[in-house]
Amino acid sequence: MQIEIDEISKEFGPTAALHPVSLSIPSGALVALLGPSGSGKTTLLRILGGLEYPSSGRVMFDGRDATGLTVQDRRAGFVFQSYALFRHMTVFENIAYGLRARPRRERPNEAEITRRVNRLLDLIQLPEIGKRYPSQLSGGQRQRVALARALAIEPRVLLLDEPFGALDARVRKELRQGLREIHDATGLTTVFVTHDQDEAMELADRVVVMSMGRIEQVGRPADIRTRPATEFVREFISA
Amino acid sequence: MMRPVVNKSPMPGFGLGMGITLTLLSLVVLLPIAALLVKGAGLGLAGLWAVASGERVVASLALSFRLSLIAALFNLVFGVLLAWVLSRYRFPGRRLLDAAVDLPFALPTAVAGIALTALYAPNGVFGSLAKTFGARIAYTEWGILIALIFVGLPFVTRTVQPVVEEIEREVEEASATLGASRLYTLRRVIMPMLAPAALTGFALALARSVGEYGSVIFIAGNIPMKTEIAPLLIVIRLEEFDYNGAAAIGIAMLTISFTLLLAINAVQVWTRRRIGYV
Amino acid sequence: MSDVSFTRSEVRPAYRKAADETPLVKAVLVLLVVAVLAVLLFAPLLAVFAEALADGLGASLAALSQPEARSAIWLTLAVTGVAVPMNAIFGIAAAWTITKFDFRGKALLLTLIDLPFSVSPVVAGLCLVLLLGANSSLGGWLVASGVPVIFALPGIILATMFVTFPFVARELVPVMIEQGKAEEEAALTLGAGGWRVFRTVTLPNIRWALLYGVLLCNARAMGEFGAVAVVSGKIRGETATMPITIEMMYNEYLSVAAFSMAALLALLALVTLVLKSLLEWRYADQLSASARH
Repeated sequence: MQIEIDEISKEFGPTAALHPVSLSIPSGALVALLGPSGSGKTTLLRILGGLEYPSSGRVMFDGRDATGLTVQDRRAGFVFQSYALFRHMTVFENIAYGLRARPRRERPNEAEITRRVNRLLDLIQLPEIGKRYPSQLSGGQRQRVALARALAIEPRVLLLDEPFGALDARVRKELRQGLREIHDATGLTTVFVTHDQDEAMELADRVVVMSMGRIEQVGRPADIRTRPATEFVREFISA
Repeated sequence: MMRPVVNKSPMPGFGLGMGITLTLLSLVVLLPIAALLVKGAGLGLAGLWAVASGERVVASLALSFRLSLIAALFNLVFGVLLAWVLSRYRFPGRRLLDAAVDLPFALPTAVAGIALTALYAPNGVFGSLAKTFGARIAYTEWGILIALIFVGLPFVTRTVQPVVEEIEREVEEASATLGASRLYTLRRVIMPMLAPAALTGFALALARSVGEYGSVIFIAGNIPMKTEIAPLLIVIRLEEFDYNGAAAIGIAMLTISFTLLLAINAVQVWTRRRIGYV
Repeated sequence: MSDVSFTRSEVRPAYRKAADETPLVKAVLVLLVVAVLAVLLFAPLLAVFAEALADGLGASLAALSQPEARSAIWLTLAVTGVAVPMNAIFGIAAAWTITKFDFRGKALLLTLIDLPFSVSPVVAGLCLVLLLGANSSLGGWLVASGVPVIFALPGIILATMFVTFPFVARELVPVMIEQGKAEEEAALTLGAGGWRVFRTVTLPNIRWALLYGVLLCNARAMGEFGAVAVVSGKIRGETATMPITIEMMYNEYLSVAAFSMAALLALLALVTLVLKSLLEWRYADQLSASARH
């Protein structure tokens, strides 16, 4: 799905989290929103997911205005920084949640739900953990379950907020590769937020550098590295 | 840019939640309190003063606040000690003691009232003991004080306990490595950390004691000018259908309580700022 | 969640001497605390049961089966049966509004919710009498319409609700702040509607805290005396709740009857304390910080 961000701004009380920003994300792209904390990257991601209403501007999904679309109707798979797994549900129930939440007419039957959840567990290469609870999983396993849960709703776009932030370096490397593979297999338009430039450069085919609620530069990783557009970008990537 | 009243959010249920909250809050709490204030406004300041400055009213208010203050001070000191002992020391029966601290919260005040009276009346277990020393407890100020200490007991302990549990041992050890004695560490390091929570508990205990009725009236003897607490005088005025009199005392109690709470709150903010919490 | 049965201090090694009180000081302080609590807490509790059983268990049970006593028990159950669920609904609604949204006047709202804790129960009763008593215009109209509130069941329920108003909200707000809203947001992105999010995500996460708040609310509601004394009119067999009946019997020198009913309420208090301790011990991680120790 192609995404068009048109002059989106967001104020929280007196402070502006986002000055009007515009951005075009082609269908099937893997995009990184890169910037330090407070740069507005998470706010932009949450607006895409429908978790925050913009103060002004529009979001277009495939040329249709999606600004007023409720978070439920948006079908954006969202992976939270803390993963936000439901503590009191098993891994299986976590992944099945979005399917069970559908209106009765569109809800798959139990056999179909089981089949789909198992397929997703295979996809994240954790076929044996359906009966476990989130507290019994390692950090990396939790992240993959959160990813599977987001994919279960057959999302139109995949949004990830610092997906590797809480993990140690070795697991992080592994999971980067995993995300890349899932992206390539599903062809989903994918946007992830990170403050880690290596992560952005290695994983994304397009990087959006943000600072203080503004977009500083958009480009392929190689371009950003060789031709930083602003002083901020130069300093940020050389850090 | 004006800050909007509500930051619009996709989270559902704001209207319903706020609706239920404000409706019930208004019906159960705000409207009745407004009725008292309206009644007071109808009397006018002069009218309020005429009632509230009556000899018997002043005596009852003074008694209530004086004894509540003493009880809350006792509970402040004992409550901090209790919190410390319960969270730091390990001894048999600690869990039982910890659970028992909440008894005054759970035990109905009327039950506490008659139980304390049974113990401290001249023919009771503690009362007869006091009598051999020529002292009387029930039906004197001492009886009221014991009842007020009883109802206010858990507050300070329960606010201070979580703070004690969070104090890092390293802070105390650092103090010790710098040559401080244990007492000095307690005084200069531990106590300031506990102070804001202790003050909160003190304020809660004070507010509770000032308004306490059930546990006090049985043991107080209720002699006008001597052992008659302010809430009881309100009840007496209502039984005489003297609504103006009752309202005036009620407003006086509210005013004094809120002034005290505000003052304590200010002290608390100041303490907290000084030791760099907030 | 599987590793909560030990509090932190218990798994730590023994404290080092350098930063600790001497054993003698400790022993003295422990004994002091035990002695004070024995006199202040345990003695009154024992006194209730001793006085209730002064003429034997039979006399005590006989006193409780008198019509007056039975009507008081039923009335108290009826009052709490309405007041506690209402306050639970209020507590959930208030906590949801306060913790899931950002709005102006939140601090004021929190203060107003806490207000009943700093108002004397007698003053609370007085407020209700002034608003709804037969001498007020609203109360006069209510009496004329055949639904008297003061000196009747609705007044007792309102008075009970007033004094127990903050309990559930106070327990839920800190818990829900600590839990954040990411799980609810995750459920929303997965397509769940408002009620489903509340039922399947929020409620399971707050159930123990909710139970805890309801437990405390219930204990206070059953035992409320001051506010109810003012609004009930103390009509024997009609508006006399258990605590009011205790007072009436006590003033008539019916010691065994008064203390038998008191013992019943004391048992309720003990059950409350046991359940409360169980919750604190088993589900410490799901209660507010002030509830776990």
